[in-house]
Amino acid sequence: MTEVRAEMVANVWKVVASAGDTVADGDTLVILESMKMEIPVLAEAAGTVSRLAVNEGDVIQEGDLIAVID
Amino acid sequence: MSLATGARGTVSAVVTEADTALAAGSGDVPVLATPRLLALAEAATVAAIAPHLARGQTSVGTAVHIEHRRATPVGAQVTADAELTSVDGPRLTFSVTARHVVGSAGGEPGDVIAAGTVERAVVDRARFLARLTG
Repeated sequence: MTEVRAEMVANVWKVVASAGDTVADGDTLVILESMKMEIPVLAEAAGTVSRLAVNEGDVIQEGDLIAVID
Repeated sequence: MSLATGARGTVSAVVTEADTALAAGSGDVPVLATPRLLALAEAATVAAIAPHLARGQTSVGTAVHIEHRRATPVGAQVTADAELTSVDGPRLTFSVTARHVVGSAGGEPGDVIAAGTVERAVVDRARFLARLTG
């Protein structure tokens, strides 16, 4: 199991992946917006997205869980 | 994108009545307004990197820290110099310095009137604008 966590305070701009999706290492899961920039959050391992913990429009803090990949 | 530290830009302007704190609403004295000075400093950062951005890219301001050390009167010529000091992916940091040009009106020409840092982010212009309306 790999947990993907936020590296900064950000707004969730786009949720690209869905729970149940099969993803490859490096696939985009969500796109954050911080300091006017788009910051893609990538899968850090290949597998299945077992949980997507954020919704578009959410404000997330550093360390918050974004997704779980099994 | 071929942005590297050391890129420099300079802009210059003569202080007009429209540039004063009185006119800008940022004070009530007829000298160069801090927000106008900041705009000049930011213009220098834009000039520093303009030749180095890829087609479709632009940059947007994200943070500023400016010491406004000396007042400059209407008629004075002011230059702002920016140097790119850090590139961290899309995040750029510049050092900026503004001077009262020697030989121009009023005050103490030659002095550094302001100094600080400006941070900007390189973004895709179309995507950036689309996000605001999406």
